[in-house]
Amino acid sequence: MQQTFPIKDDELEALAKNAIDSVFSTMLNRSTTIQEVIKIDEDNHPEGIQLPVDASMPMIAGTVGFLGNLTGIIYIFMELPLAMEATCSLLDMEEHEIGTDDHELVNDAIGELTNMIVGTFKNDLSNKGYECRMTIPSILRGSNFSIEPAEVALRRIFKFDCGGRSFVIDVLMKEEN
Amino acid sequence: MRLKILTVDDSKTVRIIVKKSFKGFDCEITEAQNGVEGLAMAAKVNPDIILLDITMPVMDGVEMLTKLKSDPALKAIPVIMLTAEAGRENVMKIAKIGVRDYIVKPFKEDVLVDKVSRVVDLRPAGEAEPVQKKIDDPIDILVVDDKPAIINQVKEGVAHTPWNIHGVSSTGEAIDFCQKKIPDCIVISLSLPEDAAITLFRIIRSNAKTKYIPLFGLSVKTAVEEQARAQQAGFSTIIHKPIDFEEFENKVGKAVNLDASGKYFEMGEGYMTVKLPKTCNASVVNEVSTYLKAKTSEAVNSGISKIIFDAQGVSSLNMDLIKLLLHSMKTCRDLSLKYALTGNDVVIEESKKFEESKDWKFCDSVETAKASI
Repeated sequence: MQQTFPIKDDELEALAKNAIDSVFSTMLNRSTTIQEVIKIDEDNHPEGIQLPVDASMPMIAGTVGFLGNLTGIIYIFMELPLAMEATCSLLDMEEHEIGTDDHELVNDAIGELTNMIVGTFKNDLSNKGYECRMTIPSILRGSNFSIEPAEVALRRIFKFDCGGRSFVIDVLMKEEN
Repeated sequence: MRLKILTVDDSKTVRIIVKKSFKGFDCEITEAQNGVEGLAMAAKVNPDIILLDITMPVMDGVEMLTKLKSDPALKAIPVIMLTAEAGRENVMKIAKIGVRDYIVKPFKEDVLVDKVSRVVDLRPAGEAEPVQKKIDDPIDILVVDDKPAIINQVKEGVAHTPWNIHGVSSTGEAIDFCQKKIPDCIVISLSLPEDAAITLFRIIRSNAKTKYIPLFGLSVKTAVEEQARAQQAGFSTIIHKPIDFEEFENKVGKAVNLDASGKYFEMGEGYMTVKLPKTCNASVVNEVSTYLKAKTSEAVNSGISKIIFDAQGVSSLNMDLIKLLLHSMKTCRDLSLKYALTGNDVVIEESKKFEESKDWKFCDSVETAKASI
């Protein structure tokens, strides 16, 4: 049975929005808007859910977990062209300087952006009294992602727009006793 | 000399951003990917400052910081944490170990540069290293006091120095002055009406061009409350009225970082003379000691092999001075330098009272001393 979660939906949306706004405006000088919020319960999607992105589009996913009073994991799914734009902006480089095959640099940049986004999210949780520490970021590449968590109290998916390109953040959390 | 910055972060992206941030400055950036590499690199390059991430594989930032601070050879290196972790627990933990500052990711590059420049002397690339001013170089001191008599007193008190004293009577005039010329030191009367001293202090400290100028408060000794408020605000020091100008000169010299070695050390043909002043208290002895090694090296490098310690002007011998002379004479012997002492009757008489100095031989003039070695 699903646990009652101590953070309300509007609070969680504000946390996600602040984390994204803060990192995108500070590090990339870009603004974002929320396009869609998907609430997922064990009952309505027991088999998992298809992410609200073009399944055929190549994606890069950064992920960082956190452990403490609240334990969870956050995924950032980004269309590859946006990931490339973000890397260029972050490192002050042109696309041709990076090269389409330089996965290592793009992976590292998206990993670091994910780290900052989850860090901001986690620091806001700390300010609300939930102390937790972060894990080291990891990166996945592919398309047609589907996350089927084993046991979470809460899962919310936020779809954002950044200058006409989409990205998604998938938040999975549970409260530790 | 180029400033050495060590960035320790498992993210190549952050290391590139750090490099990019300091591109326009005269620095050399070295990198490490985790705490183990960071410690090895710190020992190898002896950086002027370390930018350190917390969450890293192999050895995290907190462990590296702990090891760094327990290593006598590395513990003085200032560390700024650069991390996405900003929980209260974390901040308290690393503050206890000893960090100079803390930057939370995401961060603007100019914030990084600003924080680093508060800890180390960061100069734009291509800009020459500032030449340290000497005690007998002209410097500009701005005195803000609504009583012209006090400004005149300061002018007269330092008239024997090449220092320029500029007097103004109000906050507005002081700000106007600083816009035209950045003084080396500012002395503000703490009794200016309507709390103007504290207001002016805040204005000066909030302006990038004037924020590092030493600010002295000027107050009568008994005005304890206004002095406490000034100290709380962050004034560099308080000068008491009536002003002791010997103390004032020392404080200005230290605050402006003037090279005071010229007061004591003189290079001549084949000789270096160490002229000891009338009052050789602990602070003077400490100042002479600070310069002794560098000036002796300078003398040796320029071919000088004889040193005269001239204590003819000293009013009284004390243990601090004896220790200084013992140390100086040992340095001379270690470096195979010849030396001689000069002293007046009081110094010679007093030297006999101490076990350490009872056998010292004094000459009665510098010329005699020169001839004796």
